[in-house]
Amino acid sequence: MSEAPIANKKVLGLFALAMINVAAVLSIRNFPSMAVYGWSCIGWYVLGAIVFLIPISLAGAELATGWPEGGGVYAWVKQAFGEKGGFVALFCEWSNNLVWFPTVLSFTASTLAFALTPDLAANPWFMFAVMMIVFWGTTAIAYFGEETSTKFSNIGVILGSIVPSLLIIGLGLWWLGSGQKIVIPHFTLAQTVPTINLSTLPFFATIVLLFAGMEMAGFHALETKNPQRDFPRAMALSAVIIVICTVLATLAIAIVIPASQLNLASGVMQAIQYFFDAAGITWLVGPMALLITLGGVVNLAAWLIGPAKGLGIVAEEGNMPPLFDKTNKYGAPVAVLLIQALIGSVISLLYVFLPSVNQAYWILSAMTVELLCIVYILVFAALIKLRYSKPDTPRPFKIPGGMIGVWIVGGLGLFGTVLSFIVGLMPPMYFTNWIVYVGSVLLGTFLLAVPPLIFLKFKHPGWLKKQNGGEQP
Amino acid sequence: MTISKNGEICLALLVAVLFILPCLMLGLIYEEAPYHTVAGEPVREAADAAGISVADVEGTLWNMAGATGGKTYTLTDPEGDTAYIATQAFDSAESRDAAVRLYNAHAPGKGKQVGSMIVVGQYIVYATPVNSPIFAKLVPALQQAAKATT
Repeated sequence: MSEAPIANKKVLGLFALAMINVAAVLSIRNFPSMAVYGWSCIGWYVLGAIVFLIPISLAGAELATGWPEGGGVYAWVKQAFGEKGGFVALFCEWSNNLVWFPTVLSFTASTLAFALTPDLAANPWFMFAVMMIVFWGTTAIAYFGEETSTKFSNIGVILGSIVPSLLIIGLGLWWLGSGQKIVIPHFTLAQTVPTINLSTLPFFATIVLLFAGMEMAGFHALETKNPQRDFPRAMALSAVIIVICTVLATLAIAIVIPASQLNLASGVMQAIQYFFDAAGITWLVGPMALLITLGGVVNLAAWLIGPAKGLGIVAEEGNMPPLFDKTNKYGAPVAVLLIQALIGSVISLLYVFLPSVNQAYWILSAMTVELLCIVYILVFAALIKLRYSKPDTPRPFKIPGGMIGVWIVGGLGLFGTVLSFIVGLMPPMYFTNWIVYVGSVLLGTFLLAVPPLIFLKFKHPGWLKKQNGGEQP
Repeated sequence: MTISKNGEICLALLVAVLFILPCLMLGLIYEEAPYHTVAGEPVREAADAAGISVADVEGTLWNMAGATGGKTYTLTDPEGDTAYIATQAFDSAESRDAAVRLYNAHAPGKGKQVGSMIVVGQYIVYATPVNSPIFAKLVPALQQAAKATT
């Protein structure tokens, strides 16, 4: 039974909403990997913006203002495709996290190790201990509800993501201004065009999902002061911050650090150290590592809290057993948070201590891609369908251009995500048995997407809360 | 269809198992990469055997705990493809596996990792671009080298 919750306090304004999206999307750990591409990273980013970032921002703004209900993608897709569609979309968003959590937790732990003593990264016990402290600590922050997690998110994203990005950009400008050697060829427009062929095609899915998370603010609709006014503005503000920080910081790294130093060796901190050594500010590496660690925690928190809140709403509506429908006095979905933390801990344990899981992580990453693509395919399809099925629902923000505009935006988004789904099934060329690869990815994706159908199969009125007219069993 | 309290708990456990199953399955399917010393230059030997030219070689030492040095090869094949393949040796299985974790942890956004990586004895072998046909030609020989112990 739930404790009496503090009924959805309206604590979120424009800035807080924007910071939720920035926390979910902007990650310093992306920069060195993208900087390898030199000037052509601009082309890749533009491609990602055209086929995903802009469409998802516009779609999110329209859907969030039209249906400013709790549950984010669940509420939007449910309007178009019913409860089953909405539940599957939300569950895929939640379940892909559980496979992805070890990635961001491991990043956080290895970055912290770099700040303390890099040798610690090779100690699986240190790694696991830090991962668990961060994971359960973030879960504890989520336990204290929206107000606490918002404060943490606002401060954390500024200190851990925006400030380090601006610092990297500033150093890049200083590098240019002081006449130091630029390690990539001089800029020409032709160099910004990305090379797209069979070798680079798998990277397409990566670039599309680089901006995944722009819908995250939608999960917080019930706590938003003025969703109709603030959602579109928050989408725009967060998109601008993300694009500026991402593109300029990536270029700053690309012009300073030779590509030969930007391969696997370039964990973020290795790249930062190279950068700061060159700039003569080695002393700043440790504090920077701490800030980036905080950025990793905030990135984790955004993905940990949003979809869990959505799942709490689904449970509240009686689509999951009462076991999942436990909220505390702060309005946090404690049961979902606890189950999430337990499953995530077990997967993290396997990730750290079972080296063969590490080797197979490519397949797990592919599952994450497929699950996320399912979410976004459903969101873009819902955007288009709702313009036909519910044309009169007031939408304070409407994608301009009428039906043509919606088809262009939804079509681009669908193109990007469907292609990413297909590309996600392509095994790396060195996988000798592609049937095993594709079979594993599809089976894993199915297993992680199917629970909503099981829940709905067993659903009964007793799962509804008493106050909603149902009975507690 | 109705379900008892115990049934609900079973349902929750089933969902938990569905999550852990894929990870466990992959962990069991894939063989652990044994740590042992591979002599010589496995990438150069694999390239020679596959008829791929080594256009350039540079020595590299990655800034990672336990890294003891390696080489970065620029390889070209008769079809005109180019691949950059870096090797780095590690002084223990722990430090090598930590590098693998670091690689996985740096997948951009929520996407896949950039480049391809395999483990060959004490080495990590890392190739870009991600789907390099040249790397695909080298992998059988590299996997053979990974199995052979000295």
